[in-house]
Amino acid sequence: MEFWEAKLKNKLPVIITFGSLALIPLFVGDYWISQLNYYLVYGLFALSLSLVWGYGGILCLGQAIFFGIGAYVMAVTTKGMISPILMNSYIGLALAILCSAAFAALLGSFLFAGKGINGAYLAIVTLAIAIVLERLMSNWYLLGGYNGLLDVPPLNLGAFGYDIELWDSLPAFYTLWVIVFSVAIGLTYLVRSDYGILLTSIKTNPDRLAYFGFSILKLKLSVFCLSAAIAGLAGALFVTIDGFASPTLIGFTLSTEVLIWVAIGGKEVLLAAFLGAIATRIAESWLSEIFGDYWILILGITFMVSVVLLPKGLIATPLSHIGKRLSIKID
Amino acid sequence: MLEIKDLKAGYGEAMVLNDFSVEISHGQITALMGRNGMGKTTLLKAIMGLIPIKSGRILFNDTPIDNLQTYLISKAGVGYVPQGREVFDDFTVYENLRLAALGSSKQNLALLPKIYDWFPILKERLDQKAGTFSGGQQQILAIARALMTNPKILLLDEPTEGIQPSIVHEIGIQLSRIASETGLTILLVEQNVDMVKTMAEEIIFMENGKLTARCSAADLKNDDALLHRYLTI
Amino acid sequence: MMDILIPLIDASSYVLILVLIALGLMIIFGMMGVINMAHGELFMIGAYVMVLTQSAGLPFIVGLILAPLLVGLLGLIIETLLIRHIYLRPLDTILATWGLSIALKQGIVLIFGPEAQSVTSPIDATLIIGDFSYPMYRLIVMGISASLIAGTFWLFLKTDFGLMARAVIARPDTSAALGINTRRLYRWSFVIGTALAGLAGALIAPTISVDPQMGLGYLIPGFLSILVGGAGPLAGVLVGGGAVGGTSSLLTVWISPVAAQIAVFVLAILVIRLRPNGILGGKIEK
Repeated sequence: MEFWEAKLKNKLPVIITFGSLALIPLFVGDYWISQLNYYLVYGLFALSLSLVWGYGGILCLGQAIFFGIGAYVMAVTTKGMISPILMNSYIGLALAILCSAAFAALLGSFLFAGKGINGAYLAIVTLAIAIVLERLMSNWYLLGGYNGLLDVPPLNLGAFGYDIELWDSLPAFYTLWVIVFSVAIGLTYLVRSDYGILLTSIKTNPDRLAYFGFSILKLKLSVFCLSAAIAGLAGALFVTIDGFASPTLIGFTLSTEVLIWVAIGGKEVLLAAFLGAIATRIAESWLSEIFGDYWILILGITFMVSVVLLPKGLIATPLSHIGKRLSIKID
Repeated sequence: MLEIKDLKAGYGEAMVLNDFSVEISHGQITALMGRNGMGKTTLLKAIMGLIPIKSGRILFNDTPIDNLQTYLISKAGVGYVPQGREVFDDFTVYENLRLAALGSSKQNLALLPKIYDWFPILKERLDQKAGTFSGGQQQILAIARALMTNPKILLLDEPTEGIQPSIVHEIGIQLSRIASETGLTILLVEQNVDMVKTMAEEIIFMENGKLTARCSAADLKNDDALLHRYLTI
Repeated sequence: MMDILIPLIDASSYVLILVLIALGLMIIFGMMGVINMAHGELFMIGAYVMVLTQSAGLPFIVGLILAPLLVGLLGLIIETLLIRHIYLRPLDTILATWGLSIALKQGIVLIFGPEAQSVTSPIDATLIIGDFSYPMYRLIVMGISASLIAGTFWLFLKTDFGLMARAVIARPDTSAALGINTRRLYRWSFVIGTALAGLAGALIAPTISVDPQMGLGYLIPGFLSILVGGAGPLAGVLVGGGAVGGTSSLLTVWISPVAAQIAVFVLAILVIRLRPNGILGGKIEK
C-alpha cells in the first residue's frame, strides 16, 4: 500500500494511457496501426519539447533541429552511407541520440553561457537556426538535397548477423510502444525528482538558485541536451517507420507543428503534451478530410485561442482537475 | 477629500495592507510614517491603481476611484511622485514637464511660469537631460512634473530618500509654500523626521498594513515617544 | 564598375524595405514587449491588397493608400481581440501571434490559392545614365521607403505622440500616473507598426513574387535586424537592417543565395551572442 502511494499512484495516468494504447491494435486494422506508430513517435517528440519548454523554461521554436539531426544520422547510418560495419539499428539509434545531444550541447553552451540569450531572443534564434538548417539540408546533395534520403530500412532488432527486421506495423508498434513508454515513465520520474525541483526553480527563482551554489548554466544545458536527445531519438525512430529522411524534418514546419501540439496539449504536463500530439494528429486526419484546406485555418485559430484562454493547455487543464479530485499529482 | 475604507491590497497572495482606513481632509498636509515594509509605498501604489486591490474602497471627493485605471486616477486629480523619483533620464527637463501636461491636459502648459517661479533651477536647465541631474534636482523635477498635472492632492513617496540635507529642507519649505498658496492637499510618506516636522500638519502612523496612531504636528514636537514607538527598530 | 554598383543599389533597396518592416516590429516589441510573429503576414496582406486593387483596375496609388489603411485596421482588430488580452505574458504573444500567422496565411491560400500572384509595376521606365541602367520604379520604392523611415523617426523623436510613446517605453507606470493612457498608446503604436508593414508589402509587390509564404522570408531577417542592431534605440534598427540586409543581399550575388542566408544567420547569431545589446549597445527593454 505504501509503495502504491509513494511510487505508483502518481504514475497511474501515464500507465493507464499507455495501457490503453497497447490494447488498440487488438481492435483496429493495419492502416490504423501504422498511423499509431507515427503518433507514438510524434508523442515522443512532443515529450521532448514539453521537457525543455514546460519544465526547463526554455522556449525552443526550432525543436525540429534535433528531430531532423536524429533522422538524418539514423538514415545515413542504417543505409550504410558511413560504413557498412555501422549498418545496425542499435548503432544508428545511439549515434542519432548522441549527435542531437552533442549539437544541443554545442549550441546551448554557446547560447546560454555568460549573460546568455533567453526568452523571446532565444525563441527567435532557435527558429532561425531551424530555417538555416532546412535550407542547408535542401542543398546538401550528398545527403539527397531537396529530395532527401529514400529507402531508409526499418528497425532491425537482431544483432550479430541475425536479422529481425520490423517491416510489419504490428511488431514495430510494440517496439515503439516499449521505447516511448520507457521514456515517458523515465521523464515522469525525473521531473518529480530533485532534478525536477531544481528545474522548476530555474523558472521561478534563478537568482536564489545561483545563490545556493547551483550552476544555472549546467542545469539549463543538461535539460536542453536531454530534450535534444529525446527529440533525436524520435527523429531516428521516425525514419525507420517512414523510410524517408527529408529536409522538412529539420525545419520550420515541423517545429511549428510540435509547438502547436505541446501548447494545445499543455506544456507543463508531460502526459498532456504527449496526448496533445496524438489528439492533434487524429483531429488532422479526420478534420482535414471534412474541412479540406480550412483545417489549417482552424488549427491556427485553435492554437491562438487556446494560448489566450487556456494557457495551461486544452488537455492539461481538465487533466489537472481530474487529478486534483483523485488526489493524483499530474504535473 | 481622500477617504480610504478597509483597504486590502498586496502582491500576489500576500496582503500588505490589511483593512487600512484613513481620511485625509482638504488642504491639509498629512505625513504617513512607519518602519520599512509596513505598507506605506504599497498604500500609495494602491491609491494610484498600480497594484490590484483585493477589497475595500477609495473615495476621492466622494467618488470611488478604486476600480479606475491609473491614468484616470491621475486625471481625476491625484498627483504622484513615486519612490526613487523615476524621472525620464533621456528626456530634457522641459520634455519631462511637457509630458505631464500632455498626459493631463495641454492647458496645463500654462502652469509652466508658476512652476519656474517655484523651482527656478528648472528654468535655468530646461534643455538639460534629467539623467545628468543630482538626486535632489531630480526630486525637484519629479515634484514639478507631478504639479504640472494640476493635481488636487499630491502623493509623495519618500521624497528625501538619498538626498543631501540642505535640499531636503528646501524642498520641505517650498512644498509648504505651494500648499498654502494653492490649497493643495498633500499625503507625504516619509521617514525623515525633520522633513515631517517642517511640513506636516497631521501625522499618521502605520504598522503591519494598519493605521495605528494619529497626532498633530504639535503633539509630535512635544512627544518623542510616538516616534520611538513607531520608527525605531 | 557596374558589377559593384548594381548589387550595391539592390542591397540598399533590400535594406530599406527590411528596415521598414523591422521598424514596425521594433515599435511593437520595444513598446509593448510583444513579439509579433504575424508581422510577416501583415506585410504579405499589404501586397495582396495591391493584387486586389490592380485586378479591380484601380490605379496603383489607390493600392498604396488602401494597403496601410486596411492592414492598419486589421492591426486594430488584432490588438483589440488578441494582443490586449495577453500583453502581460510576452512569451505567449509569440505563440498566439504565431497561431494568427498560420491562420492569416491559410486564409490567403483559401482566397487566392497557393500560387504566386504578380503585380505589374506602375512605371516601366528605366533610368539610364551612361552605362548605368536601373528600373525607375525600384528607385522610387527606395525613395518612398527612405522617406517613410525618416517619417517614422520624426514621429517618435519629434512629436508629442513620440514623447509619450518613448515615456511609456521607459517607465510605463510612471507615465500612467501622469495621466497618459498607456493602453491607447499601445494600441496606436501597434496599428502604426502594422500599417507600416502593409505599406511596405504594397510598395514592393511589383518587384517580387507575391505568394502566401512571402512573409516568413522577411520576418526572420527583420527580427535578426532588431537583435543585431540592439533593441533600445530606433537607430539600432537602421544599423541592424543595414548589416543583415546588406550582407545577405551582397552575398547572394557574390556567392549564392543559400550560402548568403546561412552566412547571415550565423553572423547575426554571433553578434547577438557576443553583443547581446546589439552593435550599438544601449538598453534593451523587457
